Amino acid sequence: MSEEITGQVRTYVTDNIPITLISQGAEAVVYTTPIHPYLPIDDSTKGEKYIIKYRPHKRYRHPSIDQALTKHRTVGEARLLSKLSQIEGLQVPKLIACDVYNGCLWLEFLGQDLPQGAGFSNLKNFLWMHAANDPYSNVVRETLLKVGHQIGLLHWNNYTHGDLTSSNIVLVRSQIVDGWEPHLIDFGLGSVSSMVEDKGVDLYVLERAIMSTHSEFADKYNAWIIEGFSNVYKLQGKAGQKKLDELLKRFAEVRMRGRKRTMIG
Amino acid sequence: MVDLNTVSPKDPAKRYYLALGLEGSANKLGVGIIKHPFLPETGAAAKDNSHDCHVEILANIRDTYVTPPGEGFLPRDTARHHRNWCVRLIKRALLEAGVRDACAELDVICFTRGPGMGAPLHSVALVARTCSLMWQVPLVGVNHCVGHIEMGREITKAKNPVVLYVSGGNTQVIAYSDHRYRIFGETLDVAVGNCLDRFARTLKIPNAPSPGYNIEQLASQCKNKETLVELPYTVKGMDLSMSGILAYIDSLAKDLFRGNKANKVLFDKKTGNTKVTVEDLCYSLQENLFAMLVEITERAMAHVNADQVLIVGGVGSNARLQEMMALMCHDRARGRVHATDERFCIDNGVMIAQAGLLQYRMGNYVKDLSETVVTQKFRTDEVYVSWRN
Amino acid sequence: MLQTKLPQFPKYKVDISLFRDVQNSNELKTKVAELPYAFIDAKTICSREQLLSAVYRALDEVTYNKMRTKSLHSECLLCLSPTSNIGDAFHKFGIKEDSREVICLQLSKVEQHEVPPFHVFVKGIEVAFDDEHLGQFYDKELLRRIYKLDSSSQPQSRESLSRAVVNAIHLRGL
Repeated sequence: MSEEITGQVRTYVTDNIPITLISQGAEAVVYTTPIHPYLPIDDSTKGEKYIIKYRPHKRYRHPSIDQALTKHRTVGEARLLSKLSQIEGLQVPKLIACDVYNGCLWLEFLGQDLPQGAGFSNLKNFLWMHAANDPYSNVVRETLLKVGHQIGLLHWNNYTHGDLTSSNIVLVRSQIVDGWEPHLIDFGLGSVSSMVEDKGVDLYVLERAIMSTHSEFADKYNAWIIEGFSNVYKLQGKAGQKKLDELLKRFAEVRMRGRKRTMIG
Repeated sequence: MVDLNTVSPKDPAKRYYLALGLEGSANKLGVGIIKHPFLPETGAAAKDNSHDCHVEILANIRDTYVTPPGEGFLPRDTARHHRNWCVRLIKRALLEAGVRDACAELDVICFTRGPGMGAPLHSVALVARTCSLMWQVPLVGVNHCVGHIEMGREITKAKNPVVLYVSGGNTQVIAYSDHRYRIFGETLDVAVGNCLDRFARTLKIPNAPSPGYNIEQLASQCKNKETLVELPYTVKGMDLSMSGILAYIDSLAKDLFRGNKANKVLFDKKTGNTKVTVEDLCYSLQENLFAMLVEITERAMAHVNADQVLIVGGVGSNARLQEMMALMCHDRARGRVHATDERFCIDNGVMIAQAGLLQYRMGNYVKDLSETVVTQKFRTDEVYVSWRN
Repeated sequence: MLQTKLPQFPKYKVDISLFRDVQNSNELKTKVAELPYAFIDAKTICSREQLLSAVYRALDEVTYNKMRTKSLHSECLLCLSPTSNIGDAFHKFGIKEDSREVICLQLSKVEQHEVPPFHVFVKGIEVAFDDEHLGQFYDKELLRRIYKLDSSSQPQSRESLSRAVVNAIHLRGL
């Protein structure tokens, strides 16, 4: 199935833009390419990689629903990224181009390969890398505090991610030696939301993701993330503290009942 | 390791289990009698065999409480219907199954503990308890959704599919993991069947055989399938919401009946001619709702890496839904969709017997009558699925 | 002069030049309709990516949707704008009587016959069309006003300004 989809993408990006598949979700397929959609190939673009996120046409739905939905979702994600990029301190991928009629988003490629073959620099692999020798080292603690900080900024500004797993947090080398800057990626399910429930669910999904892949150290890891998160709210004085308390309370509730509301018959 | 023979058949000479199932959580009253052969190899089996019990269906009787067009069914009237019919149906089922001595032959009586409408559930539970005391047969309270799932698995032999459970009262996407049927996505307000039923009421079409079936027929008669009436599309992450769509399409239907020429969607601006028919509305509603259901199912499939889907529940009998799901499964992972026919996807007693008997064989049966209290809210993931690995 | 093609639209070629100390802006302004180029006031362009992303958007619309203006060049000007008002776009981004720094853009199909080079019409000094030069000529406050970017207490770097502008270009009208 992915060959057919890749075939579709190749048809309109043309052979000028070589693409490599890197992941396939329910809704979108993600490729990398070394070619920028409009900047000329020169020193600034040579050696760079870019992300193409493509929402394929779904045969099962009526064509008018399919076209409208693909366009709406592509624009929605682009719009969200645009708004988020205006938030001071929040780090999200740069929007490079928006090709709505084809359901394509061109985004900045973030991250790199971790040393010792540990894989791509998302939070999941990063924690795996440190699990063997130094799970509680300073760099791990600092990074997780920053992860919490990013989520805190997101929520404080009333946005939710919608799919906050440790694969959707990418680490980029920072200027500080040995330092990493977490960036949130993949806002396909993200939205504007001031609801405590949605934010609680965001935190819960990440907590579960960390627990399931790093169960031994999860308690400490999650505590650091929440610490970094809380600091954002605490800087906002009384109002911030109040909101934080409400949010953490709801988070605990979500944890207890497991994400879902009780059913009605 | 799961030992499906934890509890042996009642009569050691018998090489089978016999279960009576009673279902009455909504307007369908179902009585089913099933037989599971006693297979020594299913004891302490390494594999998950609970979808392959070699079930024999000895009786599957159902009576539906149908209301006049334009009306829905109310709890107290539904309960009254169930009370009127229950004994009759049980007697008929026993006759059909060839059970002469219920006391001696039945291993277990299974009934729907929930979720569902309070009064109807209660009426049926009462009958179950009475029969249990009368015949000295153990009782098992079953979760209605789990009943649908187990029946679907047994009929289609689908090993570990993602389950889409869609009925008048429920809309959930479920995947099995670690002894629970976990809910991945669900409706945030009404169930899809409920949405279709209520629209049917607005259209005042007959409720027999079921309102959803009649909407399906109207939709298939739509002559203008290229152009959809635009409706809100409300998938939210892994969940979906339908109350907005219902409110909107209800208002469209009302405008259509009243001939409200101001509505540009329905009537031509200049000539005032009708652009949209009732069939068009039904078709558009289905296309929209089902696309949303297929989407959240696909999300769950991607999450758990599944390639099979099982559709259960009354709305599962809709051919268009099955068709759309099949397309998605094929495109996604060359997978396939499983569905049962109306004997089993619409509420019935056999499914309660099936799930109940599995529970019974694992040793989970009622030890005290206080455990048989029915409950309107009973989440699918509250059940400990002891009969699977 | 930058001569490039956008990889997704191989049928088109793009030529862009940047001029400073332009003497005949008012003359060029009157000839805008008849000359086969777009003239853009360099005060409104802070980076290559800003202008090129607008060209991308223009080609995307022309290829997969529909053209809103009369020519590819006016389409580019429209795509620079945060709103969909064509007259407004020309007014904001087009060459003005007193523009001293001007960008000339030529966008055409590859097989189209050659047009006269820019310097035939523009009386000014050509410099490289790159971020370094654009960085000298753009007007930060003007850009903030045009794109309605809230000016926070900290000065925005050119990179972040460019990013915000590119976002606006891509999301216009959507």
